[in-house]
Amino acid sequence: MQLTMQGICKAFGANVVLRTVDFHLEGGEICALLGENGAGKSTLMNILGGVLLPDAGTIALDGVEKVFHDPTQSLSAGIAFIHQELNLINDLPIYENMFIGRELKKPGGFLDHAEMIRRTRDVFDRMGLSIDPRAMVRDLDASYKQIVEISRALLMNASLIIMDEPTTSLTDPEIQRVFAMLRTLKAQGVGIVFISHKLREVMEICDRYTVLRDGVMVAEGRVAEITVSGLARHMVGHEVKSDTMGHNGTRGEERLRVTDLTREPFYRHVNLTAYAGEVLGITGLLGDGRSELMSTVFGAEGDYTGEICVGGKPVRMKSTGQAVALGIGYVPRNRKENGIVKDMSILENGSIVTWPRLVRRGLIDRRMQTAEFDRQKRALSIKLERINDLITSLSGGNQQKVVLAKWLSAGPKVLVLDNPTQGVDVGAKEEIYDIIRKLADEDVAVIVLSSEAQEIIRVCDRALVMYHGAVCDEVSGERMTEHEMMRLATGG
Amino acid sequence: MEHTQPKQSPLQWVKQSWKTQPLFSTAVALLVMVVLQTLALGFSYANFGEWFAAWGKNWINILRNNAGVGIIALGMTFVIISGGIDLAVGSTMVGIGAVIMVLIDGNANGLLTRIGITGAPAFLIAIAAGILVGVLLGEASGALIAHSGLPPFIATLGMMKIARSVTQQFMQGVQPAVPKDFLGIANTRIGGEIVLPILYWLLLAGVLYVVSKHTAFGRQVFAVGSSERTSKLSGVNVKKIKRRVYVLMGGLVAVASVIQIARIGSMDYANAGSGYEMDAIAAVIIGGTSMSGGRGSVLGTVLGMLILAVMNNLLNLIGVPPFLREAFKGVIVVAAVLLQKKDSAN
Repeated sequence: MQLTMQGICKAFGANVVLRTVDFHLEGGEICALLGENGAGKSTLMNILGGVLLPDAGTIALDGVEKVFHDPTQSLSAGIAFIHQELNLINDLPIYENMFIGRELKKPGGFLDHAEMIRRTRDVFDRMGLSIDPRAMVRDLDASYKQIVEISRALLMNASLIIMDEPTTSLTDPEIQRVFAMLRTLKAQGVGIVFISHKLREVMEICDRYTVLRDGVMVAEGRVAEITVSGLARHMVGHEVKSDTMGHNGTRGEERLRVTDLTREPFYRHVNLTAYAGEVLGITGLLGDGRSELMSTVFGAEGDYTGEICVGGKPVRMKSTGQAVALGIGYVPRNRKENGIVKDMSILENGSIVTWPRLVRRGLIDRRMQTAEFDRQKRALSIKLERINDLITSLSGGNQQKVVLAKWLSAGPKVLVLDNPTQGVDVGAKEEIYDIIRKLADEDVAVIVLSSEAQEIIRVCDRALVMYHGAVCDEVSGERMTEHEMMRLATGG
Repeated sequence: MEHTQPKQSPLQWVKQSWKTQPLFSTAVALLVMVVLQTLALGFSYANFGEWFAAWGKNWINILRNNAGVGIIALGMTFVIISGGIDLAVGSTMVGIGAVIMVLIDGNANGLLTRIGITGAPAFLIAIAAGILVGVLLGEASGALIAHSGLPPFIATLGMMKIARSVTQQFMQGVQPAVPKDFLGIANTRIGGEIVLPILYWLLLAGVLYVVSKHTAFGRQVFAVGSSERTSKLSGVNVKKIKRRVYVLMGGLVAVASVIQIARIGSMDYANAGSGYEMDAIAAVIIGGTSMSGGRGSVLGTVLGMLILAVMNNLLNLIGVPPFLREAFKGVIVVAAVLLQKKDSAN
């Protein structure tokens, strides 16, 4: 199938999101749709998926003009939209998920399980997958869930699949599994739109790219003819740095020491020390236990063995409040679930940690609260209209900065950042790295958890590599390379 | 920022506010009710003064009759915003009431009368004990919910059954006499009218409004209800906040209990307070508080309670039979939530 979108315009009120954008895709082709958050990617794909109507412009499939008023129309035209948050029901088996809402029935209204299983198996066979259709979705790892969603699209005869950041929650082997499936689809003539921030993956899997910036298509071409930094430049509109920022910190006093820390089945016998003025990285693959390790140090899990020393004094970490009182800050992963309070304003999200400290005569002092947040807003250059707007009105990068702001106002001695640039665009990423380095310069002991080797190399002075719940080595200086860290993280 | 307000026609203003101000539609609904109620009350009076007196008396009646549930609904607002629910309030009100009744018992063999404590000191002891029991019952529910992870619906359903049943068992054949002075707590006339329960309600509403908006506890209740995980990872003691919400609820139930006893001079352990939990929940919901927590307001609950009360009065005035009135309540709760759903979808 051939898709041609021409002159697409879309505005929400006074906010123009797309300005006469063209986009085209051939069958059997994987096209990357790139751009920072807010560039208009989602809007463009939502128009294609029938979620939004364009203000102007046309969509044509194989030369025939189409108008999609709702997602079912676009789906029946063969376009499937696979969202970042997967649309599967954990407590049902795969085959029932495949047919949800369109269940096959026998005369009399009973479900035709056998036929649903057979057809599911057919799709899997076509893709060369050996998955039992009767397995529960709950028991699948993230990549297989992704694969089930894609298979469901195929079952509905999709010939064009839109994938919105499909690899965000996947480990490297899982990503490869999904990529293998995408290649099979491609060989069978399915066209794929691949939305991602991970440029290396784009280089690996995509044939062509289209870059949007501020609602305008700024570049397109063949992936073979461009480099990662070329793509990044198109996205942000200027050069992106990839060299290391670290190694200039002077190590100060010991701030946090963890000895023989164990919490089965997540991690065991972990030792680490974080010093003032230094950025310590912890890296590894998904499931290496680093997030669980640091959330224990932050007091979010009580049942551990081993010793945690803060500022040289051993403490028994029982609650997050205790950790805050001891001067530990924690920017968690998965901002949406763990980082923000979605029903609250930017201001309140940016001060939730310090509410108790802002109380004067029983009430939160609004003047102090606003003054402190304004200070952080300037320091972190948070872009916002009104501090009383909901936090969800901000872009991912700015939300993350607000999460940072709430911790910075607490003046932490140790700051743990888990996956700090998740869902953040390239420009904001750099800003967050700058903030991290600046914190270290201001004598905070910073600990950055990340599975992106690039990120670790960019901001950290040294890094621990974890593998299956154990720290396998420490790297710094010359040894801190992508290759070496990958070798250690995969147990090599 | 270029946010110059364009000139709006009143109609546009209404449309805009309807969309952006969560309480606007609630306030409009109340206004409509009040207008209808005023019409239903009629104008067959000699002069404006007489009409106004009748209108005012009717209002005082409405407010006074709903002060108890109104106070309970205030606490329910916090409970629901925190992501919980409390079904036990009607029953704990009776349990607390029994404790108060036993302590103020004016009979010669009354618990305190026997040792020579009567009058104001006995009342103070009784009210303090009532509040203490309310707080303890709240703490029990709260601890179950916060520490053993029991769903609030289940924990408070258990409490609901236990509190009323135990109270009825213990109060079998016990008939405490409520001293006449105790009735003064609710029935002392101010300007010739019995308005004290209304004043208690409004006072508590004012205090709790400030608590919900301007104290660390109040804001943490919202945060916990909206995202428990984020709250915990921001150093908020989620379990403590959950417990305290039910403790606050318990304290307010005790106040409602005192008012109930002082108003009517007795307590029917089998029936008093039954249905209060649902009326309170209805008021909270009509007031725009989200059942899933994180969003809502004390002011909304007061408006919600007024809508229910005025509607009841209106139905009474136009002669709808009592049995049917509950149906209207049901309709209005469903309609309110439907309206809010549409609002948030926009």
